[in-house]
Amino acid sequence: MKKQLSPWVNRSLYILILLVVWEATARYSGVSPLVLPPVSGVFKVLFSSLLDGSLAANTLLSLGLIAAGLGIGSTLGILLAVGAARWKPARDLVDTLLLIFHPLPGIALFPLVILWFGVGYFSIVILIVHSVLWPMVTNLLSGFESLPEIYRMVGTNYQLKPAAFSFYILLPGSFPQFIAGFKIGWARAWRALISAEMIFGAAGGLGGLGWFIFKRRVFMDTPGIFAGLIVIIVIGMLVEDLIFTAVEKRTVLRWGMKS
Amino acid sequence: MRNKSLLLILFSLFTLIPGGCQKEKSEDTEIVIAEQFGLAYAPLQVLKETGALKDAPEGTRVRWVRTANATAIREAMAAGRMDIGFMGIPPFLIGADRGMDWKVFGGLSRSPLGLVTNLPELRTLQDFAPHHRIALPQPGSIQHILLSMAAERILGDPQVLDGLLVTLSHPDGMNALLSATEVSAHFTAPPYLMKELNAPQGHLLLSGEEAFGGPFTFIIGVTSAASAKKVEPFLPFLMKKIDEACVFLNENPEEAAKMLAPSYNLPEEELLTLLTAEGTRYGTEVLGLNRFIEFMHAAGYLEQPLSAEDLQYRP
Repeated sequence: MKKQLSPWVNRSLYILILLVVWEATARYSGVSPLVLPPVSGVFKVLFSSLLDGSLAANTLLSLGLIAAGLGIGSTLGILLAVGAARWKPARDLVDTLLLIFHPLPGIALFPLVILWFGVGYFSIVILIVHSVLWPMVTNLLSGFESLPEIYRMVGTNYQLKPAAFSFYILLPGSFPQFIAGFKIGWARAWRALISAEMIFGAAGGLGGLGWFIFKRRVFMDTPGIFAGLIVIIVIGMLVEDLIFTAVEKRTVLRWGMKS
Repeated sequence: MRNKSLLLILFSLFTLIPGGCQKEKSEDTEIVIAEQFGLAYAPLQVLKETGALKDAPEGTRVRWVRTANATAIREAMAAGRMDIGFMGIPPFLIGADRGMDWKVFGGLSRSPLGLVTNLPELRTLQDFAPHHRIALPQPGSIQHILLSMAAERILGDPQVLDGLLVTLSHPDGMNALLSATEVSAHFTAPPYLMKELNAPQGHLLLSGEEAFGGPFTFIIGVTSAASAKKVEPFLPFLMKKIDEACVFLNENPEEAAKMLAPSYNLPEEELLTLLTAEGTRYGTEVLGLNRFIEFMHAAGYLEQPLSAEDLQYRP
């Protein structure tokens, strides 16, 4: 039990130290509060924006966009990767697409996305899909390649049809890479989301966390900027600890694919 | 082991602390001046082209920095990395309201501004529906405040159009408007204003002066109290040179167009029409400071009742 608790204890300790150093710097170093506001001021803004609902609504909107982008991106990624694994011409196509799009930062696509799809939620989802899709495909393909020969043989032995082979052998066999791809996609999705929201602004008064932070910035509300950042950090921690860890525990760890 | 890693973390934290306490000491005083891109900054471009600041007071060196928006200048000045900046009145007031100790030392230009649309169904602000989008440089910019002023007068609520805002730089905003996607109107400045008005169906929904209810200064020069000592011997010199550049631009626009055409990357004739466009006027007087303060305070963009008097630079 003690072993289970200790990462949390250590982490909380480090966070506490960080907060103390922050507060002390803000108070005693003579730095303007416009540059580094004290922790207390930040939490005051955080709570008041949580209470008036503005932060919660924007956070939900952002999470919804991320969910949509991650869902579409990973589904497309699975389809592309499985297709490429099963059919040589598709493999060449996917390799070419990866070569073209994988290194392309979403931000570089902004001007085109604005021209073609405008500045609505749809464009934000497109940018998230772009940032999720390619790392997903890359990871899945490398997972398929490292699939032990014996798994393939089992599939052949059972005379599995291509679809069943993909579903029962290929995908579960490369689940660790899928999770790794999903984690990269999740981190990249946030980057795409926040930058897109900062640029695209509010639709119907709501613009997500990126717009929340951006608005605080242009009105020089530095504690508000930190409040937005804290929300992103907390969501990141919760998802990593609760969702990713739980999924890994239930799948790859139990299957003995990762220790 | 535990102690060592703790020390390492603390150490890295301290190196990250902003403050810029260690300013490089050299013989010369370096004065950092921040500006933005656009025709409204033409007097500064004239100073650069003519090298007018070369004979600055002994021991002063000028470094020009160009930023994409006023927010960047404000942040850099708050951090003590810039001494003089040029921006619209509202971003300056927002900074002063949030506690920045900085002052206006003079104006730079007046400029035609306007809200342009290419949708025939949009004739006045009353025609905006929830599916429309208005592009402008950013909330809190002079364009946003002017829109807010008009919204209050025409629609009765300064914030009623805020839900339609999209933040786009002037060129991106123009592209978005002309490409007929969601952006239905664009609050912009020359030369984008003229280009959009000349595009098919382009028409003016609202001009800056209509929104404001009179003439106002578009760009002002600002200096922070933290740099006061440094800029004090330099500022009168700079103001005199800006004044001369403004007179030159107003009185010899042909010559000015010829000089500035390469740096604005525009044909000479086009630049000349822009420099002499109605509403464009270069000069160091500051118009409209009080009206901006009153409105922004009443509409909730400013929390404190600022006084225009206190915001003026006094050597």
